Amino acid sequence: MTIRLEHICKNFGAVEVLKDIHLEFPEREFITLVGPSGCGKSTLLRILAGLESASSGAIYRDAQTVSDLAPGKRDIAMVFQSYALYPHMNVFRNIAYGLKVRGTPADETERRVHEVAKVLEIEHLLDRKPKALSGGQRQRVALGRAMVRKPWLFLMDEPLSNLDAKLRATMRGELKRFHLRLETTTVYVTHDQLEAMTMSDKIAVMDGGVVQQYATPEEVYNRPANVFVAGFIGSPPMNFLAGAAITGNTVSLDCGGTRSTIAVSPLPAAGSREVVLGVRPQDLEVFDTAREHSLAAEVSLVQLVGSEKLIDLNYATSGRISAQVKADSRLAAGQKVWVGFDPAKLHLFEPASGRNLALAERA
Amino acid sequence: MNAAYVARQALAYLVLLVLTFLICFPLIWALSTSLKPPKDVMATPPRVIPLEVTLANYRNLITGKQQYFRADQSYVPTTAAPQYFTSWFANSVVVSLGSTCISIVISTLAAYSITRFRYWGRRIIPYFSLLGYMIPSIILVFPLFLVMAEFRLTNSLWSLTFGYVSITLPFCMWLLWAFFRGIPIELEEAAMIDGAGRLRVFVDIVLPSALPGIIAAAIFSLIVSWNDYLFARVFINSIENLPLTVGVMHFFEGVHVDWGLMMASAVLMTLPMALLFMLMQRHLVAGFGAGAVKG
Repeated sequence: MTIRLEHICKNFGAVEVLKDIHLEFPEREFITLVGPSGCGKSTLLRILAGLESASSGAIYRDAQTVSDLAPGKRDIAMVFQSYALYPHMNVFRNIAYGLKVRGTPADETERRVHEVAKVLEIEHLLDRKPKALSGGQRQRVALGRAMVRKPWLFLMDEPLSNLDAKLRATMRGELKRFHLRLETTTVYVTHDQLEAMTMSDKIAVMDGGVVQQYATPEEVYNRPANVFVAGFIGSPPMNFLAGAAITGNTVSLDCGGTRSTIAVSPLPAAGSREVVLGVRPQDLEVFDTAREHSLAAEVSLVQLVGSEKLIDLNYATSGRISAQVKADSRLAAGQKVWVGFDPAKLHLFEPASGRNLALAERA
Repeated sequence: MNAAYVARQALAYLVLLVLTFLICFPLIWALSTSLKPPKDVMATPPRVIPLEVTLANYRNLITGKQQYFRADQSYVPTTAAPQYFTSWFANSVVVSLGSTCISIVISTLAAYSITRFRYWGRRIIPYFSLLGYMIPSIILVFPLFLVMAEFRLTNSLWSLTFGYVSITLPFCMWLLWAFFRGIPIELEEAAMIDGAGRLRVFVDIVLPSALPGIIAAAIFSLIVSWNDYLFARVFINSIENLPLTVGVMHFFEGVHVDWGLMMASAVLMTLPMALLFMLMQRHLVAGFGAGAVKG
């Protein structure tokens, strides 16, 4: 069953939260809506759930519209950020509630709750109240409550954000495993690009109520549609260098009056054209001697992040760029270095619209 | 444990002891007097522990036997009031429970509506309701009496029931409003996605979560209506329709004051509320606490 969102708009008073959203979620896929807070991702999820109604537009499940169905009639399940476990019910009754409401016979309810509890390894907790559970256990109960009804669509609203970093990493893997096992279409909302990258089949990057890019994680990472997506996805974030230009088949950078050629252009231009140059810190090389097509810079800060070092560099009078190098690098603050660019890893954006030139040209 | 700490603790306990004594003494004295035979009630020196213990006062109240005592210490039947004690008690129970039930049902629904639905005025209603509660009863009682008279309800238990609702409802609503605001809306949304309709969500999820608040509101309402004197004094004029508070005043009969019956009534009046408090104490603290902190 494919889900299609068509022309979804949502206004709260004068504020436009969602602007003409078109998305299609193929069956069995894990889709992530990712974006900064206030980008409308949670609102979109709530519209999918039926907790909020769209100002205009429609939701289709295959050919059928579900826009007018009450949340309970959509046969979907949702995991909330706060888990929203019923505090006065024990774990068993929490998980069984959806079945009870639907009039499932007691013996079948019993069987299905135990089945789900076994998968989630919470069988020993069935008699406990939510307040006697740890964060991770509550998370599992919330998942169990969603799974037990065997819905055709899972909605998850930042389900990992209340967990500590270590548990979050564990649960990320676990959620992915559950998804592979259940093969239920899942729409997952997060502001954490790492969650989006690691778990998804497809990512919808949202900002300002608009879907900026909807593609696979590889595509979003390697060919970001615009400056926003490029800056949001990837950690440490991409460098954006203003004052870059393509002249013929070279890329040059404005270094305080003089232009230095830094790479062979991946997108040769007839004549000359201004661009915003995007390059990920991982894709830079730092040399201690001058090379052809390199940028002279000075190390301003070195941060060790485990297996790598993150180097902040100053170039020209006010340019800044950061690079990621191996942890055994001997670079130190104040050292003069040369930065090398890999032409294949350069992202070129149109200065006015912020669009990726490679994609714009292809389209 | 240093000396300053010990001194502070000692002082705290001393203050608490004095307060406890001040609060408990009238109750102990009432209990003691109710157990004394008439001749010992005014005996000098006064004794807290009765020399002779009798349950005659309680028996008389419950069986409605009329007897008074004269200066020569002998019992005589009088025209006054112990035969009404059981009706007064029943009236108090009926009126308190009735007004509490009405208050709780209305205030629960009202508070839920104010916190969950969007309509004009929902933000100011709770504050106005509290404002209403701040107006002294003595100012409200006469206009209310006129209203009751208009509906021909005076001198009936209905007038008291509705009168008490008018005092307790605003405060109960305010309390529950604060309480409902503390119940996360996601709980209801989760239940709706689980397939429950609005009413089912209210009964299955909202009411149990709000139970401590509802219990607190109910106890407040019971106490106000059980202890009211003013409304009963103004609204009711026939002796058999009185609640306990005004009824026991009939034990002041001219020069005769039957302290034994008075105090036995006082003890019987205090008992239900004291028991209720003891049983519900835990919920009461949770109720007021939760409402206050989260609201």
